[in-house]
Amino acid sequence: MSNYPDIPVIETRRLVLRGPEAGDYPDFKATFASYRSRFMGGPLNSYEAWMLYAAEIGHWAIRGFGMWMVHDKATDETYGMAGGWFPAKWPEHEIAWIIWPDKAGKGYALEATHAVRRHFYERQGWEGAVSYIDPKNLDSIRLAERLGCTKDREAPTIDGNDAVYRHPAPAVAASGQIRDGIELEIAHYCDPSFRPKGMPID
Amino acid sequence: MSLTAAPVLDTPRLALRGPEVRDIEPMIAFLLDRERAEGFGASTNRGDAWRWFALNVGHWHIHGYGYFTIEDKASGAPAGITGIWNPEGWPEPELGWVVFDGFEGRGIAHEAALRARQWAYEDLGFTTLTSNIKPGNTRSIALAERLGAWFEREYDNIHMGRDLLYRHPGPDADGSVEAYA
Repeated sequence: MSNYPDIPVIETRRLVLRGPEAGDYPDFKATFASYRSRFMGGPLNSYEAWMLYAAEIGHWAIRGFGMWMVHDKATDETYGMAGGWFPAKWPEHEIAWIIWPDKAGKGYALEATHAVRRHFYERQGWEGAVSYIDPKNLDSIRLAERLGCTKDREAPTIDGNDAVYRHPAPAVAASGQIRDGIELEIAHYCDPSFRPKGMPID
Repeated sequence: MSLTAAPVLDTPRLALRGPEVRDIEPMIAFLLDRERAEGFGASTNRGDAWRWFALNVGHWHIHGYGYFTIEDKASGAPAGITGIWNPEGWPEPELGWVVFDGFEGRGIAHEAALRARQWAYEDLGFTTLTSNIKPGNTRSIALAERLGAWFEREYDNIHMGRDLLYRHPGPDADGSVEAYA
């Protein structure tokens, strides 16, 4: 509809990130009704899931940034969401992600989150960001580490139940050591013969 | 700056307009007032209250309708909210209203809800509307009846629990109680 928040489209090697649309809601709802959402306030009933989705859209209008819907570039299928999150009560701007449970293990969260962080740093002038992660959410902690984040034990948390992972500052994130490492890993995932070892990770 | 494509609706004393950033604090203050917001669904913390404001904006984008801010023309202050509400799990699209502290007893909710209902019927093409009211919320029941609505049934609301459903007169009626007397 008109006056929809003007959301930039971000393209990566395998993905296209667009604003959340009403038609993407069933995929969002399926994940937030599942155990996968346990570290993000879920599982939610249908009312709660719809209200959260509406809040995702409202966040874009109010803040001018928010969570993108992550689509496959070729098929348009949705894989999850990634972007920025800064509701009231959040001490700092957060970079967040969620991948639908049956799409994990392909490096989509890494590829999408790397792209949105670059967008915030290079296009929107963010000087830093954190990710608030449940200490039991090992997949997300591992992803934060692959993105070059370090645990910040001094930083304020949302409610004391979350750990703060601080993203590298823009200059550091743009350096070869971090960026080349992330892009090499993404390149491995893009290789159809690549089989990651161990448990599926995002 | 407008956060939605909501129109501005005029009444003698009020302007109904889409939610704007300057409404965030008055809305949060209302939602954190346990006593006042009980019938609407109070928030236990500032984060949840902010999220409600954001999801109302999203509601407008998804449905093309939602809660308007009721602006008191004389003072320019937000006096409450009214509009059409229809999240997933709701029994039917609902006409809702809330008046903020300091704006009660002046018929503001009646004047605003009547205008929102007219908009839903004439501009959105709704053919019927309901209002969901918590048992014991006598003020809201009185206003629903003053708007010509009648008690239809009791049901379990996915969010509010046991709830009363009031049915409004349709678009062809003039909306006054007298039309149903």
